[in-house]
Amino acid sequence: MAAERVLVPLSDTVTVRQTVGYAVQSCPGEAETLEFHLVVALPHDMEMPEGQSLTEDAEQLLSKAESWVREDASSTATTIDIETAVLGEEEYLFGPRDYARTFDTYAAAHDIDRLVLDPEYQPGTTAQMLQPLERELESVGLAYDEAPVDRPARHERLVSDGAERFDKMFAMFWISYGFYLVLGDPTYWFDLVTGAAVAGIVSVSLAHVTFSFPLDRLGSPIRTLRFGLYVPYLIVEIVKANLAISVVILRPSMPIAPTMTRVNARVRSGLPLLALANSITLTPGTLTVRADDQRLLIHTLIPSAREDLFEGSLERAVRFVFHGRKGTRIPTPEERGDTEIIGGDEL
Amino acid sequence: MIEQLRFWAIVVLLGFGLFFTFVSAVGVIRLPDIYSRAHTASQTDTLGAGLALAAVALALGRDSMAIYAVLLLFFVFITNPTAAHAIARSAAESGIVPLTDDTEVDVEPDPSTPDEGDSQ
Repeated sequence: MAAERVLVPLSDTVTVRQTVGYAVQSCPGEAETLEFHLVVALPHDMEMPEGQSLTEDAEQLLSKAESWVREDASSTATTIDIETAVLGEEEYLFGPRDYARTFDTYAAAHDIDRLVLDPEYQPGTTAQMLQPLERELESVGLAYDEAPVDRPARHERLVSDGAERFDKMFAMFWISYGFYLVLGDPTYWFDLVTGAAVAGIVSVSLAHVTFSFPLDRLGSPIRTLRFGLYVPYLIVEIVKANLAISVVILRPSMPIAPTMTRVNARVRSGLPLLALANSITLTPGTLTVRADDQRLLIHTLIPSAREDLFEGSLERAVRFVFHGRKGTRIPTPEERGDTEIIGGDEL
Repeated sequence: MIEQLRFWAIVVLLGFGLFFTFVSAVGVIRLPDIYSRAHTASQTDTLGAGLALAAVALALGRDSMAIYAVLLLFFVFITNPTAAHAIARSAAESGIVPLTDDTEVDVEPDPSTPDEGDSQ
């Protein structure tokens, strides 16, 4: 065997240093040259607002990892080749399957047969994906090796920010208690007691699932109140859109003008994006077909619905909910050049 | 007097709810492809079910049951776009090309016969 090639996907975790160390150590000594392929797979593509800074972060991580490999391999006699690459710049990697496929393509192109996996591997902001990634790697038939690492136990970390945990449990407790009492009878002692017990169990077991982000003691209640203002606004929009669509459908000539549009929304991913995409779909006349993060592919049925969409009134309302009044002062998507009418075959 | 008013309010709400559900059914038949049909299918859930549930809430007014109708509406509003999006997305993934203005500049759908052939 002339050369031993190893693929190491990197991400910004506490164990990435140890993973690189293990990748160097674990290589059998008899190989003449060792080829390390250090790659960072980006979950977003370059066109996204934050794409540029993510790519810079990735390159920094790669150059750090390169020097780690040189440092660890300096004692051995074998020649070390290091190649670095940023993967997934042109596509949007969504789940473990996309990552596994990307790694497999890269491995096939460079004749690599072994992959060293960081047990805490966590690209982008998505949740832990070790187990599903392992399963997908198995299904594409790429051999992998999990680096044995010491890591700080996870529950320790939770204790250290106990205030955050308390906030989540506190919020979860009152949400579930409130819901229980709405369904039950708030004046009946039995419901009060059982509700408290149920809400306690729910908050302990599910708080960290419900709130994947840290809560803001002042901000979160204010956001909830602003959401209360948003609902009537949304309902008015829905009624207006319903009337417009009904008129179009009932007219014998049925003057529809379906188009496929792409709108780059200026809202954070997660809850704000969900709220926006859901509201767009709820208003008849606009339908979110795809949400590749901030890039929404939206099907519009009539011209007036499309104009409303390009004016971005819903986007502004969602920004109001999450960022307050100053969040609404942005140009419309049309002025920003974030709108585009695309052909139907470009899905 | 108040009772009379409430009765007629319920009737009017139910009537409009039925109207929008009817429009939605007509739309599903008349519109040309799966994407545009998904638009109008969501009308049933938003205004059709919305107004009917508002009527129910009004009819149950004195009961605490009315709050259930409001909750029901809340969940319909959350799940309806999810379903519409799932349909549209799976249509897009199975490669169904939406009809757009470019593809049917001169072929306006015939008002008397729903154009089933184009819907794939």
